[in-house]
Amino acid sequence: MFNRKKFDWVLASLLIILIMMGCIAIYSASTTIIGKHHSTQNHWWKQIIFAVISLSAVLLLLKLPMPIFDILIVPLFIINILALIGVLFVTDVNGAHRWFSFFGLHYQPSESAKLLAVLLVARVITRENITELQQVAYGFVLMFVPIVLILMEPDFGTSLVFVFSLLAMLIAADVPLYYILLIISPVLSVVSSLHWIAVVIWILVFVLLLIRMGLSWVAITISGVINVFLALIMPVFWNGLKDYQQERILTFLDPMRDPLGTGYQIIQAKIAIGSGGFTGKGWLMGTQKNMNFLPEHHTDFIFSVIGEEFGFLGSMLVLTVFVLFFLRIAHAIPEIKVRERKVATAGILAYLMIQTFINIGMNVGIVPVTGVPLLFISYGGSSLLINSLAVGVVLKYLNERGFIK
Amino acid sequence: MNRSTSAFYLRILLCLLFLFLFVALFRLQVVKGSYYRRIAENNFVRIRRVTATRGEIYDVKYRPIVINIPSHDLYLISGKVKNIDALSVFLKMHFGIEKEELHDLIFQQRFKTYEEIMLVDNISYETMLALSEKLNYFPELVFRSGTTREYLYPNHFTGYVGRINEDEFRRYRQEDYSLNGYIGKGGLEKYYEILLRGKDGKQIIQVDARGQNLGFFRSDAEVAPINGLSLVLSIDNDLQTFVHESFPAGSRGAIVVSNIKDGGILAYASNPSYDPNVFMQRISPDLWAELNRRERPLLDRASQGAYPPGSVFKPVTAAEGLQAGIINRSTLLASCTGGLKIGNRFFKCWSSGGHGRTNVVDALRVSCDVFFYDLISRISLDDAWRHAVSCGVVNRTGIDLPGERAGLYPNKEWFKKRLGRAGSLQGYKANLSIGQGEVLTTPLQMNAFYAAIARGGYWIQPHFMVRTLGRGRVSREQVQPIDKHSFGWSQSTVKAIQDGLWAVTNAPGGTGRAFNVPGVTTYGKTGSAENSMGKTTHAWFCGYIVTDKPEIVITVFLENAGGGGAVAAPIASRIANYYVGNIERFKAPAPIPEQFRELEGQETDEPEDVFPIPSPHEEPAAVVPTEETG
Repeated sequence: MFNRKKFDWVLASLLIILIMMGCIAIYSASTTIIGKHHSTQNHWWKQIIFAVISLSAVLLLLKLPMPIFDILIVPLFIINILALIGVLFVTDVNGAHRWFSFFGLHYQPSESAKLLAVLLVARVITRENITELQQVAYGFVLMFVPIVLILMEPDFGTSLVFVFSLLAMLIAADVPLYYILLIISPVLSVVSSLHWIAVVIWILVFVLLLIRMGLSWVAITISGVINVFLALIMPVFWNGLKDYQQERILTFLDPMRDPLGTGYQIIQAKIAIGSGGFTGKGWLMGTQKNMNFLPEHHTDFIFSVIGEEFGFLGSMLVLTVFVLFFLRIAHAIPEIKVRERKVATAGILAYLMIQTFINIGMNVGIVPVTGVPLLFISYGGSSLLINSLAVGVVLKYLNERGFIK
Repeated sequence: MNRSTSAFYLRILLCLLFLFLFVALFRLQVVKGSYYRRIAENNFVRIRRVTATRGEIYDVKYRPIVINIPSHDLYLISGKVKNIDALSVFLKMHFGIEKEELHDLIFQQRFKTYEEIMLVDNISYETMLALSEKLNYFPELVFRSGTTREYLYPNHFTGYVGRINEDEFRRYRQEDYSLNGYIGKGGLEKYYEILLRGKDGKQIIQVDARGQNLGFFRSDAEVAPINGLSLVLSIDNDLQTFVHESFPAGSRGAIVVSNIKDGGILAYASNPSYDPNVFMQRISPDLWAELNRRERPLLDRASQGAYPPGSVFKPVTAAEGLQAGIINRSTLLASCTGGLKIGNRFFKCWSSGGHGRTNVVDALRVSCDVFFYDLISRISLDDAWRHAVSCGVVNRTGIDLPGERAGLYPNKEWFKKRLGRAGSLQGYKANLSIGQGEVLTTPLQMNAFYAAIARGGYWIQPHFMVRTLGRGRVSREQVQPIDKHSFGWSQSTVKAIQDGLWAVTNAPGGTGRAFNVPGVTTYGKTGSAENSMGKTTHAWFCGYIVTDKPEIVITVFLENAGGGGAVAAPIASRIANYYVGNIERFKAPAPIPEQFRELEGQETDEPEDVFPIPSPHEEPAAVVPTEETG
């Protein structure tokens, strides 16, 4: 239960600071100023209401007895999978089936799927008497379902977040590193197939690493051959595709290829952030948002408003708070003694971290993937609630520390 | 393994990822900050929509009906608004735009689109010249040239376009409409919106403070617009004009002329009419009141109004009797003595003198009501209803216009709902048999039905669009199949009905002898339908003419205008005479004009006849009146 002494006040404070920063940025993002006239859309106070709801939910979660929390995960996960299937049949918004809408509220099932999948995978792969191979296999099978469903929405960014959190959990569950290497090797082989020199270097590094990790020669040969084969077959397969199929895949991976759609938004985000300079233009003083450059910049592109109005200093402040926040969670991992919870915490940390990176990276134009909101700062109820609950889970684990299964 | 391995790896990953972000932000904001600031302050990078040209509409001889003409529009670049009060005074003074309207546009629209906002469209050239100078004080305002529609003929079928409204914008979100764009609001403009509209192109441009393109970003970032397809209609402008002018002054009604060969509409007019061009400007309240006056000029009476058909409906009843074998060509039914007693009610014939005993041909010729009263008493209501439905006078014809109305022919179930019983309906049935009582049809349905009679009982869906023109040539059949089916009438049924219609316009005593077209064989039926709209009957006439093969079918309908034979038939006669007098011109094949042909491939031959025409056509056998009465 709630234990004042064990409660991590630092982590909770960092969470609240991030949410407050979000409200300030959202207020500005939804304000238009022309001369002495200004108009603000009501997003900011909606976000405050969402924040109050989210923080109350975290408190409730902390009060929830652990056994009940444990029981809830599996049924909630199943319901969530059904929701992910259901959302594919909802009318699309801008070509993607991601949201359920009722009474003006939007719920994105892939948000809650992230947390629930992490909790479930953590439980399954930390069971007693389970081989390493089984750990990897179960982890992948469980993650596979939501990933495929989310890819169908389509939402490449969110799927990527799942993969990263799975890898982090496998590492935390003491799966030997060569497994991880073997798992990601096909992806790297496909990527390296862009250039033959890259293929050679990658295969050499791959084999050397496997030798150092002490794998048997048979295993090394087999995995080496498979990866060389993949790298060689890839260009053949690619050239066999029709032009429009290639284009579709490339646009899926890199929305910048569609310069009139997402590419335009990214260009505008870069201009906004860059024009903020070192000190920024000041709160509410951003000009780019007034120039109709983005219809929805209070959501995925909120960081561009921060960058423009608070400059490099403000961006750094936000980055710093995020780093402190993540370090605090990383700090918590060794404190948690129950293996399942430790693995879950690693998974939660990984997904929060990758998501932050993808979003800010997209705003500054170094990551092509889109469709991922900025944690705690972007406008949006379901995202704020679920991410807060993820932090709540970590807080809860910390509250229960000392209890060894 | 060390317990904090995972935390260690995650920390390394965290540092790496945030180092990337740090470097990227440093580069963007500190190293290149002034560069981006310059872009942000002096320039706008924006997407400009390259509007696709909307398809035009032509008649069957490729003469224009609806064309695009250049227009001048006033745009607001909302990001630049400096003095909103002065702007609102200016706009109020010259264009009557209220302050609230302007605020809504500026503060609300930017959350929906990043395009410039069209404030006023179709500004006259004089106004534009007069205001150009003043625009220097308002850098946020700019005149741009665009196109608007010009409707060359007032009519009810082309419909009109208008600025897209909130509701339509939301509904067609996926279709990539611009909030500044136009959308078909009625008629063919609405029905064929998808074909006419095309697809807007887009380009990313960087413009300076004066709105000039600086060509800064990748110039290949451009999607060319795909222009809309033009429509070629079966309408003939000459005939349409003649028909439009055929309405007696002050009359309300509709005239439909269609081609028997393929079901294409040749002329389609509803009176009173309106000029669609008025919708291209802001409509003043006075004009709006004028458009909504009691005569309802906006109503398309040909397909959106359903009226009691009266005697023009009688062939439907006659055909049912013939098809069901209740009567044949020479069967004589109850003697008409000016009416017939059904149950304990006396149903009058229109002629108080009575017609005596008649066969079906004569009953049609003199339009004897009693014959049909007697006939329908031998038919069950549901059979009669099924038959009426099969004749296409109940359901919508499916013409390529939005908002078509269905007709009405009640069945047992309908009466049960309406009256709470479906017992003895003999009285109701009697009225139905002569197209009175509950029966309602649109003039268009009647036209299609008479065309089917002319074809020997073969129904073809009436339609306007023949093919598209422009970027690609698509025939109407490729866009949407035309419904065609046979009524399944026997040869003798067809013959008896056609002979009856021939007798109406040719034989002595025929009610439609005013339909007199020298040189061709005429067929027709008059109708004078009692109605709830007034004391005077609706005047109907449906008829067709046959040269060596069936030519055109004409339906004239006039609200509360009097008797069909006296009022409607002469109008139909004038139209038919005009057609026959210029038949070479009307039937001459029109080559596709040069300016269209270069956009297209090879022309195919004339389409083949689409229905089995009974050939060679014989003159109907002489009708021997059985009894001459009154």
